[in-house]
Amino acid sequence: MGYTPAMQGAPRRPGEQLLPIEWGAITPLRLRAQLVADGAYDGVHRSRRRGAGVEFGGQRPYVAGDDLRFLDLRALLRHDRLMVREYETETERALWMCLDATGSMAFRGPAAPGAKVAYGALLAAALARIAIAGQDPVGLSFIGGGEPGRGVSVGFGHATFERVVSELECATAAGDLHGDDGEVVRAARMLDRRAARGGAIVVFSDFLDLPAEALRPLTALAAAPRALVFVQVLDPQERDLSFQGKVRLKALEGGRVVTTDADAVRARYQTALRAHNDALQAQVEAAGARWVETATDGDPVKHVRTVLRAIAEARR
Amino acid sequence: MSFLTLAALAVGLLVAAPIVAHLLRRKPPEEVAFTAVDLVPATTATAQRRNALEDRALFFVRAIAVLALAILGATPFVTCQRLSLARDGGASVAIAIVLDDSMSMQAATPGETVSRFDRAREGARELLAGLREGDAVAVVLAGDPPRVHLAATTNLDAVREAIETTTESDRGTDLDGAVTLAADLLRELSHVDKRVVVLSDLAAGTGQPARALEAPEGMKLWVPLDALQGPADDCAVVGAERQGRRVGVRLACSPAPTEEAAAPRGSADAASGRRLRLSAGDRTLVEVPFRRLDGPQDLTLVIPEDADLDPALRLYVSLTGTDAIAADDLAPVVRVGGRLQVVVVTDAAENAVATGGPPPVEQAFAALRLGVQIRPRSTVPDRATELDGIGLLIVDDVPGFTPAQRRALTTWIEGGGVLLLTLGPGAASAPLGQTFDPMVPGLVRWQREPPPGVDRDQDRLFTDAGSGLEDLAPKGRAALELEEDDETTTLVSWADGRPFALEHRMGRGVVVALTLPFDTAQSDLALRPGFLELLKRMTDTARTLGGVSRSTVGNAWTLQGFDEVRVVRLARDDSAVPLEVELAPGGKTRRVVPERAGLYALTLDGNETTRVAAVREGEVDLRPRPADANQRSDALGGVEASVDVSSYVALALLALILAEMIIRVASRRRAPSPDESDERGDPTANDEPPVDVAAA
Repeated sequence: MGYTPAMQGAPRRPGEQLLPIEWGAITPLRLRAQLVADGAYDGVHRSRRRGAGVEFGGQRPYVAGDDLRFLDLRALLRHDRLMVREYETETERALWMCLDATGSMAFRGPAAPGAKVAYGALLAAALARIAIAGQDPVGLSFIGGGEPGRGVSVGFGHATFERVVSELECATAAGDLHGDDGEVVRAARMLDRRAARGGAIVVFSDFLDLPAEALRPLTALAAAPRALVFVQVLDPQERDLSFQGKVRLKALEGGRVVTTDADAVRARYQTALRAHNDALQAQVEAAGARWVETATDGDPVKHVRTVLRAIAEARR
Repeated sequence: MSFLTLAALAVGLLVAAPIVAHLLRRKPPEEVAFTAVDLVPATTATAQRRNALEDRALFFVRAIAVLALAILGATPFVTCQRLSLARDGGASVAIAIVLDDSMSMQAATPGETVSRFDRAREGARELLAGLREGDAVAVVLAGDPPRVHLAATTNLDAVREAIETTTESDRGTDLDGAVTLAADLLRELSHVDKRVVVLSDLAAGTGQPARALEAPEGMKLWVPLDALQGPADDCAVVGAERQGRRVGVRLACSPAPTEEAAAPRGSADAASGRRLRLSAGDRTLVEVPFRRLDGPQDLTLVIPEDADLDPALRLYVSLTGTDAIAADDLAPVVRVGGRLQVVVVTDAAENAVATGGPPPVEQAFAALRLGVQIRPRSTVPDRATELDGIGLLIVDDVPGFTPAQRRALTTWIEGGGVLLLTLGPGAASAPLGQTFDPMVPGLVRWQREPPPGVDRDQDRLFTDAGSGLEDLAPKGRAALELEEDDETTTLVSWADGRPFALEHRMGRGVVVALTLPFDTAQSDLALRPGFLELLKRMTDTARTLGGVSRSTVGNAWTLQGFDEVRVVRLARDDSAVPLEVELAPGGKTRRVVPERAGLYALTLDGNETTRVAAVREGEVDLRPRPADANQRSDALGGVEASVDVSSYVALALLALILAEMIIRVASRRRAPSPDESDERGDPTANDEPPVDVAAA
């Protein structure tokens, strides 16, 4: 892992260096995303909202407070029961995807098919593919990545999908969230500004270098209301600390160096990681959002389905 | 050493492998990029410090183990070299080890730094290591005079102890006498195989080329360790005598070795440029160069007139520079009198020999070369001052002593003088008032009947040199009518029992009276070999009784008539080393043997005197005597490969492995659990690389 001299530009602060993304087996992203989306696709996504609409959606018993305009008089006369008619209507629910492209997301362990940011891009592209197919608008933004303002404005159709994929393919990893949550605040403000109420926001990140306070601007997005899902993408080596023996680890963000005996501290590391994730999950769910954990060596189809279910649950 | 041996020993270089591995491991591990570093606990350096001691022990054990492996691999080819006997049919042997402890053995072994004596003694130890139960060993020291250090015994432990107690000395060399003595020790043993083993540099010690050693009859002579032999450059200050402001110095230098035979510790060049220094304490009075000549030479140093000498300071003459033997480069200066003063009172007209020349006594002293100063006189001194400085007085057939002479002689003899008195026709015709009393208590008469010859069985004076005296044919003899006296003993008797030679002790001195004169017209005593032995013994007696202050190292000082004797050797720095004083059976004679050259202080019944023991001139000649080929034959023994230590090395290797296991177990017991380590860990020490030296 590292960056090539050719990618060095003007002198940057540590953490702002542009790190290449190892796509590995995840390329070509467009085809891989289509395959994943096809596997997870279960029909055009329809956003159902009961209430006023154009198509009859059935009857239900009347409860106090129901609009009397929908009271079914025929059922009252024929069966002497108070029934309310329901109608269905199709609504557009924009799907915003926010991909963490800071330095830590460029990490790729030896057992992973690609870097974490690449895997997050695959999930994001697949979700975009599914949303586009369901006639929902899709938007894309980044946390970090070295070039502020990058992303894709919300839009419909295949062209938007192509723009999303192209933007993801050109993504670079840069930025250091360790001790600096400015990137997160900027991304949260942009999403709050652009994501419409009732839409869905999916944030892809490893959430390892993110301080707990920095997560609040993002969790606040769920109050709009919006369906907010946090997808943690981990490398297998991050999950298992699969180093052997004595290693000297240097953080991709923050620059901290630790020398340790991986075999000796593996259990303690996994315990600490579990505690870290549990704390984040508790914070996320307390805000009404959902928390999904993925790993880059996992089945992306399954992960996409999990995210879709999490979006659906978040909307209830 | 073969190539395979070298190759096996080269494995020992791998001893550096654990160290190199350790150094490599000590480097910080290569940095690896990671993300969740905040969640990774660091292993702290405190654990390393706790393990440091155990790790060093492991290092030590492993390094030795690697070396042991290398040695183990080489031992099939590397064996200990030691001197050992070859046996005929495996039978027991009787050996007499002749260990040369003369001064020449202080030179370095050619090609090595160890002295020849130490190498010879090591050779003796090696010989003993190869002996078996039933072998008999005797030890003879070849320094002059040869001595039995240990009679033949089968107790090998006693032999080892005897070998360990041998020390270097500044004695001369008498290898022939030592071999003869060693053969005598073995002669009575029942062993069939008898051998005399000579551990010597074979330096002749005579200053002249010598013949090869002869094997004793019925025995084998083995001269191993030819590595001991080789010429070397050496110069010695044999003696220094002061007369007024003149100091006569006698030097002796070895024949200059050829270039190819030059010894490592000395060379011909070393002698050139050397200087002769006369010093008093730390002050140098005179320092002059000298021309190096082979053999002895006499030089004279003159003390400057303006030298304000402290009489208490001792003078020394030394040689600057270095040579093969350092012990002989320094000699104390003795005042005149250092050479034995021998006064001969005889009638030159009566005692003239038919062939011409001085009287027989003076001719004998000249032939003996005893280093004495002969002063002929016609009359016996009658004043004590005339006798000062005289060590030996020889009075040949005088007609008695006047009272004045008797008083002077009595005082002189009781002070340590030695009087050799011959009684002949002249003695028997003493005028009235002239007697020999108290030197010879009794009347003296001259008998003209030919005596029957000397009784050799009762000979205590001439010993081996007295052969032929039994048919001595003088024209007459002096007959003594002795008074009863406990101080008078008969040394030699005539065959009829009458005394031939008497010894009368007076104070610290002694009188020896013969009943024959030296006049060849009256007696053929002066023509017999025993006559020379007589003069030599009297000279030695005079020297040991204090008539002279210089003698040769190894010659015993016999001190008679003293109740309290203390002898110390005075070093250059005025430190004193006491010498052991032996008490002869009877309790009247004490004996001291100076083993080292130098100055000695003797306290005899409270009176202090000094003596000098000097090295023998011939000892500087380190040219070895030739040795016959059969004396170096491999059939007698040699330096052989005999000890294979691989089994010991293998055992040591196993012990090392066991030690490593123990250290590892002990280290693990002391090592804290990971949780404990983390709790105690110093967060600031996270960046310090932990070192697992045990893994190296």
